Amino acid sequence: MAQIPNLDNAALNLTALREQSQKELLSIIKSIRGKKCLVIDPKLAGTLSLILQTSALKEYGTELRILSADPLQTECPKVVYLVRSQLNFMKFVANQIKNDESKGLQREYHLYFVPRRIVACEKILEEEKVHQKLTIGEYPLYLVPLDEDVLSLELDYSLQECLIEGDTSSVWHVAKAIHKLEFAFGVIPNIRAKGVASTKAAELLNHMQLEDPVSMDNMGIPEIDTVILLDREVDMVTPMCSQLTYEGLLDEMLEIHNGSVEVDASIMGAQQDGKKVKVPLNSSDKLYKEIRDLNLHVVVQVVRQKATSIQQDYAEVKSTNTQSVSELKDFVKRLHSLPEIARHVNLAQHLQSFAAKPAFHARVEIEQIILEAQTYETCYEYIEEIIQKQEPIETVLRLLVLFSLTNGGLPKKNFDYLRREILHSYGFEHMPLLYNLEKAGLVKRQESRTNWPVISRALQLIVDIKDPENPDDIAYIFAGYAPLSIRLVQHAVRSGWRSIEELLKLLPGPHMDLKRVRCLDH
Amino acid sequence: MSSSVSVAAEWDLLSDRFYRRITIYSPLPWSSPATTTASSSGGGSSGVGRLDLSTHIVAAAPFGGPIAAVRDDSKIVQLHSEPSRRRLLLFSSSGHPLASSPWTPHLPRLHSLAFSSSLNLLALLSDGSLLRFRLPDLNPITSSSPVPLLPPASGGVADAVFWGGGVAILTEDNRVVVTTDIEVDDPHPRELADPGVAEDEQVLCMAVVEPQFVMSGSPEVLLAVGDRVVAVDEDGVQVLGEALEIGPVQKMAVSPNGKLLAAFAHDGRLLVIPTDFSRIIFEYECDAYDNYQLISSSLPEAIEACIDAAGYEFDVSRQHTLLRAATYGLAFCSRFPHGRFQEMCKILRVLNAVRDPEIGMPLTVKQYKLLTATVLIGRLINANQHLLALRISEYLNLNPEVVIMHWACEKITASAAIPDVVLLEGLLDKIPLLLSIDEQDKALQKSIDSGDTDLVYLVLFHIWQKISVEKSAPLDFFGVINARPLARDLFIAYARHSKHEALKDFFLSTGRLQDAGFLLLKESRELERNPMASKGSPLHGPQVRLVEQAHRLFAETKEHLFESKSAEEHAKLLRVQHQLEVSTKQAIFVGSSVSDTIKTCIVMGNERAAVKVKSEFKVPDKRWYWLKSCALATVGNWDALETFSREKRPPGGYKPFVEACIDAGQKTEALKYIPKLTDPGERSEVLVRIRVDTAC
Repeated sequence: MAQIPNLDNAALNLTALREQSQKELLSIIKSIRGKKCLVIDPKLAGTLSLILQTSALKEYGTELRILSADPLQTECPKVVYLVRSQLNFMKFVANQIKNDESKGLQREYHLYFVPRRIVACEKILEEEKVHQKLTIGEYPLYLVPLDEDVLSLELDYSLQECLIEGDTSSVWHVAKAIHKLEFAFGVIPNIRAKGVASTKAAELLNHMQLEDPVSMDNMGIPEIDTVILLDREVDMVTPMCSQLTYEGLLDEMLEIHNGSVEVDASIMGAQQDGKKVKVPLNSSDKLYKEIRDLNLHVVVQVVRQKATSIQQDYAEVKSTNTQSVSELKDFVKRLHSLPEIARHVNLAQHLQSFAAKPAFHARVEIEQIILEAQTYETCYEYIEEIIQKQEPIETVLRLLVLFSLTNGGLPKKNFDYLRREILHSYGFEHMPLLYNLEKAGLVKRQESRTNWPVISRALQLIVDIKDPENPDDIAYIFAGYAPLSIRLVQHAVRSGWRSIEELLKLLPGPHMDLKRVRCLDH
Repeated sequence: MSSSVSVAAEWDLLSDRFYRRITIYSPLPWSSPATTTASSSGGGSSGVGRLDLSTHIVAAAPFGGPIAAVRDDSKIVQLHSEPSRRRLLLFSSSGHPLASSPWTPHLPRLHSLAFSSSLNLLALLSDGSLLRFRLPDLNPITSSSPVPLLPPASGGVADAVFWGGGVAILTEDNRVVVTTDIEVDDPHPRELADPGVAEDEQVLCMAVVEPQFVMSGSPEVLLAVGDRVVAVDEDGVQVLGEALEIGPVQKMAVSPNGKLLAAFAHDGRLLVIPTDFSRIIFEYECDAYDNYQLISSSLPEAIEACIDAAGYEFDVSRQHTLLRAATYGLAFCSRFPHGRFQEMCKILRVLNAVRDPEIGMPLTVKQYKLLTATVLIGRLINANQHLLALRISEYLNLNPEVVIMHWACEKITASAAIPDVVLLEGLLDKIPLLLSIDEQDKALQKSIDSGDTDLVYLVLFHIWQKISVEKSAPLDFFGVINARPLARDLFIAYARHSKHEALKDFFLSTGRLQDAGFLLLKESRELERNPMASKGSPLHGPQVRLVEQAHRLFAETKEHLFESKSAEEHAKLLRVQHQLEVSTKQAIFVGSSVSDTIKTCIVMGNERAAVKVKSEFKVPDKRWYWLKSCALATVGNWDALETFSREKRPPGGYKPFVEACIDAGQKTEALKYIPKLTDPGERSEVLVRIRVDTAC
């Protein structure tokens, strides 16, 4: 099964969007004649796998390499770098070129920035004295369809950049991406934004529309009605919680990257041990589409039931000879779904081996206790203990952040004590990490009372899920916690910000409710 | 997706040059719904709905001037809603009607229209007489009766070529008459030498080398007759370029500088030859040329090319792109004269303003330079564009008095509304321009307002470079950026990747001591990664010193007490670990945490060292129990574990013992401690865990 998701069922014509990106990339490849080595930065390599089959590139005499600090190994006379406009990649590029030169290798170098060239990057190339040797271009890839209903900006570091480094490049990037989308689908009439970065992005988007207008006249009715922009900062709570749906657990345990997971072949029932296989996870897989958002134990039931029913059919086919041809055809058709069923049986089984562990239950339980924000001591001691036990630092920090956020920070004494325990347990090299968490307001000293209970009550974040198999509220995905951001989106879609104006003031950053009307011709 | 046709696709190769045809204004309005223009007859332009150029006699003034048209009554035209009576119409280049006046009936047939260099409209009638009109109101000059240019019985006009100051007429009986003082009240036509066209011959086409390009000071008329071209002047006739064997020429055009002639030969070749017909400079046949040259220009040339290209470009966004490209280059090329860039920005601002459809003067940069700013302002004044004329005068430091005087006069005579000129926006607000006029601070603020961090960087580098050129203290730069958080943070982000020293200076000089401290910590970690620094060598010295320096920096501010203490402990740990590596002769300590150091000591059986670390770093008892149980279980020292459990009542209970055994897979060992768990819930949990974990 292909990793490139099928987009035929998408509400928008995302196929066209993807084809445009394919075309643009191929035209870059084609414009450089002859044998060439395409060097891609690691993250981008994953992203491109969602756009085209990398084998397609080989048809144009292209050899693929991943950009790294090491010298480039290739025989090709031409080198094409395709990298995101990040400062840290520039040294790699410069070093590879210098390495070639030291070996007396003469090559032709091209550098394509994704999505656009950045003067700061070029300045580094200039300082490294390789700028003149490069022919520079752009590959304007802003949005990538991850699935029929998800577009990704692929900005991994935007939170860190915005909150800690003060670098708001990604905000411009967001606005630009939406503006580009508007050229395809029309000007989006409603913008609802919450948070510093989101409101800024909305402003920039408006500004771009003024500077480089998408015509409102020829496009007819816009295909997108509303865009809701939320700063991640508005809801840092949710990503700290353990995800409990099938897809969520796959991500927690195996990490989903670019719409697929990499697992040991043995898990998927293959013979070769130690070999890794890539399992695509997107809506092209009908069964996955059906079960991805269900609770793990429900998933197990569903796949088991499907397997059993095919088994029964099979028994019937074998025992009677009276089936009509069309009935047989039906059966064969159902047989085709067997590989899908097998795949998810294997994955679900693997997940269960984690999820059944008491440690996992304990963690989900403590998250619930922290979210309810009522028993400080229990939570504090739990976190202290897992630090001292040296559980993975990511686990520790997620809980600590969750705890600090819902508690409005920690009393100074506890705050300093836990931080010291972390540095002692995991090493002093984590000092900048703790400092950055503090700077971003994720772990902090308590200065005022927490408003979490108010927010939680007003938005009904804690919900008692009565029937986990047929849940009637989104809260089932976190065992009774409804994600803050999802509640905000629900409100934004239903009635705009007006109904929760007061509440929004308790969350960080300004909010904005913008209507963009067709401007009258003068 | 946005329809972005490749810019390159618009260009056609002709000889070694690329050419393109661009649409400057589209669609042309030709009329506006309301009559806003001054009209001599008061009739307005109501009759003009659209203009079919093929049924009109048309003249377009050079240098983006107006267009005049009269319906050609020699052609059969289906009249739509327009009145049957002909009118003389005047439009701007962008098709906005400027004026119209009725065409006097019963005149001889109109042969052609043209503009003189002082922008009067000339109408040559078929009998060889001339009518002249003043702009912009189309009032007749001197008299309404035509001035004759041809002697009687010449048979009328066969062909005519106008230039800025005159006209050359080929009569029906193949004689040539030129008039070089066409603007004066009573012009003086002169007949040139007889071109000697035989009875059975035909003049195919005609061109004029204007008098200012001819040595004698009088015009030279080129006639294509049969398969020869003859040059006719007052003194005689000369056959040109026989050796070139061009054959019959269908069409000729003289270049604006009078030096070259483009000739379209009967066989479809397009030739460019000097006006003396000495040689063929180049000839063009369809798809005869395929000579792509690889462009491998050095940076200054590339910048130059970008600036030039911006000048030739009509599309403002492309100008912008090109200028931006140039500034990219400028940032890397300090030698390049910045004046070139500023000059082009200025010119483009003016050109874009007058090219606006409302003004409708599509001047090219070359035309503008030939025309000069003063003449352009004069034209704007005459077109009643006073505000724009004034702004351009001020912008170019020209005396605005001319404009104001004219405006005042006009204001008194007419109450025409001043057009709303928002035109000078456009490039005005664009950052590269501001940069070039040295308003760095304003530019920085503008770039920040734009939200485009790339622009902020552009300004930052510019200022940075200027400072290094002018050798002023970097403190000025720090001062400028420190006042603006986005600029400051971007500088920091960039400097982290390439300019550590400058960054440290910045942090220290702006009082961000904690950030300087973290920078030192980062440097110390880089030393740690250096293979030369490991293996317990004395090279740890610099690493420790850096951490200690960081500690002192953190200590300078009250807010960073925690960091200060941590850095102090870190330095201490590095020393302790260094000693441990020396005493154990094993390079396994440096770089590990306090807890891991303790565990390693216990695993190595060095309890004393572990206890020493514990007390030196004030490790709480609770953690000590976790670490020691874990370490003992790791090496399977169950007896020592049991002894440890009996030392005293553990401060956090027996959980560390139970878990250490379970993690090591020692169910039986675990069972020793499970009964000692005080919390019954905890006890049952652990029992479940034993069952599950061993089942897995």
